Amino acid sequence: MSFLSLIVKNPFRNRTRAALAILGISIGIATIVALGMITDGLTASSQTTQNSGAAEIQVTAEGSNALSATGGTLNANYITELQNISGVSATAGEIRGITPAAGTVSGLLVSGMNSNQTNLEGISITNGTMYADGSNQVILGKQIAPVLNKTVGSTINLFGKEFTVVGIYSSGNIVTDSIAFVSMSTLQNLTNTNGKITLVDVKVNDNANVTDVANAITNAYPNQLSTTTQTQTNELMSKTTGSIKTASAAISVLAIIIGGIGIINVMIMSVFERTREIGVLKAVGWKSSDILIMILGESIILTLVAAVVGILLGVIGSEALLAFFSTTGSFLKPLFTWNIVLRAFAIALIVGIIGGIYPAYRASRLPPTEALRYE
Amino acid sequence: MNDKENIIEIHGLKKSFDKGRTKALTGVDLEIKEGEFISIMGPSGSGKSTLLNMIGAFDKADEGSITVAGIDLMKEKHLDQFRSQKIGFVFQLHNLIPNLNVLENVEIPMLRTKTTNEEMDKRAMELLELMNFPNLSETVKQNPTRLSGGERQRVAIARALVNHPSIILADEPTGALDSKTTQMILDLLKDIHKKENVTLVMVTHEPDVGAQADRTITVLDGKVVEGKT
Ligand SMILES: Nc1ncnc2c1ncn2[C@@H]1O[C@H](COP(=O)(O)OP(=O)(O)OP(=O)(O)O)[C@@H](O)[C@H]1O
Ligand SMILES: [Mg+2]
Repeated sequence: MSFLSLIVKNPFRNRTRAALAILGISIGIATIVALGMITDGLTASSQTTQNSGAAEIQVTAEGSNALSATGGTLNANYITELQNISGVSATAGEIRGITPAAGTVSGLLVSGMNSNQTNLEGISITNGTMYADGSNQVILGKQIAPVLNKTVGSTINLFGKEFTVVGIYSSGNIVTDSIAFVSMSTLQNLTNTNGKITLVDVKVNDNANVTDVANAITNAYPNQLSTTTQTQTNELMSKTTGSIKTASAAISVLAIIIGGIGIINVMIMSVFERTREIGVLKAVGWKSSDILIMILGESIILTLVAAVVGILLGVIGSEALLAFFSTTGSFLKPLFTWNIVLRAFAIALIVGIIGGIYPAYRASRLPPTEALRYE
Repeated sequence: MNDKENIIEIHGLKKSFDKGRTKALTGVDLEIKEGEFISIMGPSGSGKSTLLNMIGAFDKADEGSITVAGIDLMKEKHLDQFRSQKIGFVFQLHNLIPNLNVLENVEIPMLRTKTTNEEMDKRAMELLELMNFPNLSETVKQNPTRLSGGERQRVAIARALVNHPSIILADEPTGALDSKTTQMILDLLKDIHKKENVTLVMVTHEPDVGAQADRTITVLDGKVVEGKT
């Protein structure tokens, strides 16, 4: 027999207790793993690498922003007027509206745009074709298509009219990939917004500074226009994922603390029950440090087993969450990485050490005579 | 016998518990020669176990001097090493570890020494073979909970011997056994005492057990009051 095999064997003497301890810690680990996979997935999907050719600035009515603006809040004249601002190379108008759609919670955002200008949204068709202007054809972003359960050839009801899905696109931007595009004139007719738009996409000259151009626009139209730059959008995204990360870190810490208290409890009980045995080990010449290592090792064994169980639970759990979310219209996908596995084991190790150190210390300090007198 | 060295030398040894309220040893003087078989007798609470625990360095004495196998236990820092190398202890109750089989239980004292697994198995089997088990190959794989009291005590004796101790301390090793099993255990201990030339110090309540030793000493109120040579 080896010292290690003794350490591995000992925690499972009381099977029920070991199982409960492992379950308690593994739930904590599972939470950490699931949250980790979800936040990592969120971070990965929100990191936009906008296709080249896309507009750097989106101009909306004063007080709104490009991420949430809808409706005919701007006069279509702005499309041509903004071309006069220095540094602007191209502009395109978009009319936006939200229509209920099966599979989504808050409805589907639909943008009307002239088909030859969709490059300003970074759109490139990956499957099928572009819609024809004036038609009842629609293209869907690659994120939203599976949520809506639509492919090329499907029909979909938008604003009370039957549309045919003619293409699927990708834009390199998670938000843009989660909406639909149709012809501008079609949507204006449907929503009674002829001559009106929601926003203007502005592409700047290669040698112009995006922020300078954005400032020039708001200075030229004080109290009329707001601008949203790509950098601002990215910052907003990273702020959001940042706060989700903070929240999941807080939950993780809580899980560690609860797991740690659980393991301290179990190990103290185990040491208490084995007082006499520990006395015998000392009587046969084991060093205090041998006892310390043994008890600490047992605690670590429990938490490492819990890590394995917890990782499995976490992966299954986050996949289950994905299944739930995908029917409610989220573009969230949990991301499994070895980094998360490593993190889970590291946390388990820390919980094992923190939870085991006090009981181990107490056991190692037991005088052999006290332990042997103990009944 | 006089030409032999003292392996245990105790002078004026005192030990009290509960911050001095319980005086367990009140000044013990005792010399034991190498290879001797000594029995310690005396009424309950007189301090027999405490004295044995002092010899085994399970606890520190308050006053006096105690030298065992050449080591001054009042000064020695590495008492765990002393216990591991010099002492084999047999308790009244076997104190075997329930989730380990017989062989593993015997190997426990070697676990933290520099002994390979093969050496451990060899040494443990060697000793268990001396313990008169009728079906040893089966017994070694069993958990101690399935053994009788006498069988468990034999495993405990094997465990006490694995590290080649110079002294075996036995605290009422037969206290929980019937008379037939008692004699078997005693014969085993005597046998080992002779064969391995270890010093054997045994606490007992039973006069006929004590009488089988080379010498019996009596402890009363924390002192050695009587010792025939
Ligand atoms: N660890 C301890 N803490 C407190 N008191 C103790 C301790 N060990 C022994 N004593 C006390 O010291 C005295 C001597 O105890 P000891 O166990 O040495 O007696 P004993 O002769 O072995 O008795 P018995 O024959 O009943 O085993 C008793 O009064 C006992 O209660
Ligand atoms: Mg006693």
